[in-house]
Amino acid sequence: MLGAKVLLVERDDIPGGQLVKQTHKFFGSEKQYAGDRAIHIAQMLLDNVESNPNIEVWTNSTVLGIYEDGVVTVEHDEKHTKIMPKRVIISTGAAEKFLGFPGNDLPGIYGAGAVQTLMNMNGVKPAERVLMVGAGNIGLIVSYQLKQAGVEVAAVIEGMPTIGGYLVHASKIRRAGIPVLTRHTILEAYGDNKVEGAKIAEIDEKWQPIPGTERDIPCDTICLAVGLSPLTELAWQAGCKMAYIRELSGHVPIVNDDLETTVDGIYCAGDVCGIEEASAAMVEGRLAGINAALSLGYITSEAEELRKNAMDELDELRSGEMGNHIRNGLEKLSGYRT
Amino acid sequence: MLISDGVPTIEDIIKITPSDERFAQGPVAIVECFQEIPCNPCVKACKRGAIAMPNDINDIPVIDPELCNGCSLCVSLCPGLAIFIVDKTYSKEMALVKLPYEYVPVPEASQYVTVLNRAGEVLGDYEVVKVMSGGKVNMTYTISLTVPQELVMEVRDIKVKE
Amino acid sequence: MCVKNKDANNIICRCEDITREQILKCIADGYRTLDEIKRVTRAGMGPCQGRTCRSLIATELSRAYGVPMEDVLMSTFQPPVKPISLGALADAYME
Repeated sequence: MLGAKVLLVERDDIPGGQLVKQTHKFFGSEKQYAGDRAIHIAQMLLDNVESNPNIEVWTNSTVLGIYEDGVVTVEHDEKHTKIMPKRVIISTGAAEKFLGFPGNDLPGIYGAGAVQTLMNMNGVKPAERVLMVGAGNIGLIVSYQLKQAGVEVAAVIEGMPTIGGYLVHASKIRRAGIPVLTRHTILEAYGDNKVEGAKIAEIDEKWQPIPGTERDIPCDTICLAVGLSPLTELAWQAGCKMAYIRELSGHVPIVNDDLETTVDGIYCAGDVCGIEEASAAMVEGRLAGINAALSLGYITSEAEELRKNAMDELDELRSGEMGNHIRNGLEKLSGYRT
Repeated sequence: MLISDGVPTIEDIIKITPSDERFAQGPVAIVECFQEIPCNPCVKACKRGAIAMPNDINDIPVIDPELCNGCSLCVSLCPGLAIFIVDKTYSKEMALVKLPYEYVPVPEASQYVTVLNRAGEVLGDYEVVKVMSGGKVNMTYTISLTVPQELVMEVRDIKVKE
Repeated sequence: MCVKNKDANNIICRCEDITREQILKCIADGYRTLDEIKRVTRAGMGPCQGRTCRSLIATELSRAYGVPMEDVLMSTFQPPVKPISLGALADAYME
């Protein structure tokens, strides 16, 4: 938009990250397309990319490495390709966390995001009866979408004493008859060559199962929605200074207000900088792009204004009660800057 | 409790229930949004300016029942599906409730459906009187159904028989 | 199904089939870092390159040695981030 030439490298066959499979309406304000379904937002963003002659898109292509001399290697068209960009924006997103429990390798145990892909991208009914582990937004939303797909959700269990996701999402599945059990954990999955059920129990303050509260949940699928980890390999490789920040869900690159890492010319945006809502990730992507263009000399009054707007939007999205942990995380992160 | 099981308490509901006088005047929106989240489409949705967020998009929406005429535009525009319309003036015994709906099958007018409360408990079978499509982009249906007066602040979801 | 040794049936690295029991044994044997455990067990060397098991093993290390997660030494990260074929490497070119 500001004039720089961009190569967009996407591992999947369609760019758009998680938006392409999220059928629910987004929150935020109109500046982040609130009220629109993410699938429609993804299409709109994709149309913008495709109609812009300055953007080249490589799909089915994976960035394999970023080297200290600035060379970026990509697997593209089944070939190992080297490129030498002037600026790099890492927006690799996050990976689903896994959970250790007996029986956790039985077929039928998925990340909730994987089940969402099966359902909403591939049109596969992934299960008949699901136990959802985790009551963050992903656990709640995927439970709702499972219900929409005609799958029974036996329960959503959550180790914390309170629901982590938006309460409107919890209320929505609760009134549809899906129990949300906080302070509950999965003890084990069982079954003969595939999941046939799970044992769950209530836990105490020290996360220990309370004897006598064990319950059997017959189900053919267990979905894990126990959090995300920032996908930071490329930042590590590039030599970006990293910090472990619990509030941001793990190790994240130390970035400044421009979202530039400690390595000149490498920027990060979205969940790779810390797990947050998708609306914030979209704004961060925009902000990193503007800053990269500015640093290349594409300086216009419009760019400065866009930059300020993006920063204001992030402040607004993070200013409420739900933004507390992100603000705390970013505060800690700023302490690592030199 | 809402924060631990997703079900608003009676106290939560009392806080957002309009006065008997307001109910006597006709349909009104009930906004069951109890948590400060960054989200404001309801404010834009209301053409009469009845829904406000005084400080910023993280505010809990405040509805002015005197400005609200129960038009139901906000029902299908709230991303959290947290707004309902209640009309206690429908008839002496029966009240009208409008709720957002995003499942299949979609019921038809005059069909009887199973109605559920906020905890997903079955309250009986009642009649759908109107089904409004949100269109190709919005995709959320607004379902109007008649239920006994005493259930209208309880009914918040439906189950449609295949 | 009756699970006798629950840690033996608790998979930490799905790619390489490494159980919690094996991880705990490594820690009992004195291994202190993710990279050490990776080298002796192959945990984290499969197709997903540790994206699944890394944080689980780090949690076990943090617990066993009583150190906060931020002090658990991370693995080193080297290209490529995913396995690629030798054919692709042989076809390497500069854009």
